[in-house]
Amino acid sequence: MSERSLVTIAAAIRTRRMSPVEAVGSCLDRVRRLDKRMRAFIRLDESGALGAAKALEADAAAGRWQGPLHGVPVAFKDLCHLQGLPTSCGTKTAEYFTSSQECTAARRLLDAGAISLGKLNMTELAMGPYGDNAHHGDVDNPWRAGHCAGGSSSGSGAGVAAGFFLGALGTDTGGSIRLPAACCGIVGLKPTYGRVSRAGAMPLSWSMDHIGPMAWTVRDVAILLQVIAGRDRADETSSRHAVPDYLARLEEGVSGLRVGIPEGYFFQGVDAEIAAGVRQTGRLLEELGAHVSEVKVPDPQTILDIAMLITRSEASTLHARIARERPHELQPMVRARLEVGFGISAYDYLQALRLRARLTRSFIRDVFAEVDVLLTPTIPEPAPAREPLKALTADEFNVRAGNFSRLTRPFNAYGLPALSVPCGQSKLGLPLAFQLVGRPFDEALLLRVGHAYQEAASWHHQRPALG
Amino acid sequence: MSERQPRQAELAHLAGVIERLAGELALAEEPASFVAALEDGAAKAPEEDR
Repeated sequence: MSERSLVTIAAAIRTRRMSPVEAVGSCLDRVRRLDKRMRAFIRLDESGALGAAKALEADAAAGRWQGPLHGVPVAFKDLCHLQGLPTSCGTKTAEYFTSSQECTAARRLLDAGAISLGKLNMTELAMGPYGDNAHHGDVDNPWRAGHCAGGSSSGSGAGVAAGFFLGALGTDTGGSIRLPAACCGIVGLKPTYGRVSRAGAMPLSWSMDHIGPMAWTVRDVAILLQVIAGRDRADETSSRHAVPDYLARLEEGVSGLRVGIPEGYFFQGVDAEIAAGVRQTGRLLEELGAHVSEVKVPDPQTILDIAMLITRSEASTLHARIARERPHELQPMVRARLEVGFGISAYDYLQALRLRARLTRSFIRDVFAEVDVLLTPTIPEPAPAREPLKALTADEFNVRAGNFSRLTRPFNAYGLPALSVPCGQSKLGLPLAFQLVGRPFDEALLLRVGHAYQEAASWHHQRPALG
Repeated sequence: MSERQPRQAELAHLAGVIERLAGELALAEEPASFVAALEDGAAKAPEEDR
């Protein structure tokens, strides 16, 4: 069970080779055995999961199929509001976030037949790329104990990789889906801004927040995206752009596609094993028929500064209450980030929003005239060991954290879809990963390229040895 | 160095970026142009009504 993908489990349930109760029972056994080390869950909902599994089993016996995820165990980052379970957002406060609206993306998965095992660990207030959490425990890396799982959707990444569930939701304001996906050796997709409703999920920065799927394979991620994508009246920023069939062209390969590798910024200071893994990915895509070339992109530093200004302003505005009334409850690095936002003027914030629009338009026009997708590393180094990070001051930590997420953050600012796919292992046995970036609303193409790579390279058949 | 100094430096840096770039903006450029840039930059597809 722990070595099977969401697609194979969904098919096994559909063909009655496995029941929803068996699927949930197998996952829960694994969680009970291994989550003391992994710390992927903030709240495991055993009774809720078993109750849902029994109901779906009865439905299946009666020939009633709820949807493509009927009986498939999943779990949600603990900033997704669902009735009956508190939402801590990784803070000390069990019910930090409440909402009259359930998380639309989570609800769509459940309505498609998925079974929630519970709420997942995350970096406090989704701030931080490593997956450390002083209140709920640091999430461990399934491939190497003592190393980061990546964050902020740390429980989502580690839990999928550990075989606790078949898919998860994460959120991504600066890389928080792609970083844990890369650190944990799974696939993570940050969709286009507006592609997936953000309703019912704790906001960190309404201009930069994205919700997206995480799973073992690109195909699994495509199925999850199919369910959660699309307009939602509860989120005015959700797009009316039509949702394509993400599986329809998944097998079409990469022949003739233009893949651009932006040298310079995206490879400066990047670990040699990761850089080699990404370049090897380029060669493999070329063998599969793509035209791979170097491409120049605008210097990301300007959009990063603008994104920083916007994110800091909005995060401080949203989380002012805890920052001002109960700052002692926050981890020092989170508090430090929020303090910066209080010092930003309305003038600078609004000019940053105007500049973002202009820079996004010119990036799309110039870059995608040359290539169909960009290929970059996702992380600048394999998942680092946790202990040395704890010796840093809050400001030192935030500088290091900023560097760790510097390859993903530009694409939150541009709002472009970005997919992280594993591409090997380091000498220490830690996952390597690449990132594909495409035109707005062209998730289907990223999934097609990622799938072609996975089928040819087969890294997704390797699993961490957890017992 | 106190803990506040790096934050002041960060704020000054970010304000400097805005000071350098904001002069290039035309009067009509608004934040909502961001969503329009995404829609315009996408391959054309019909709107949905979900």
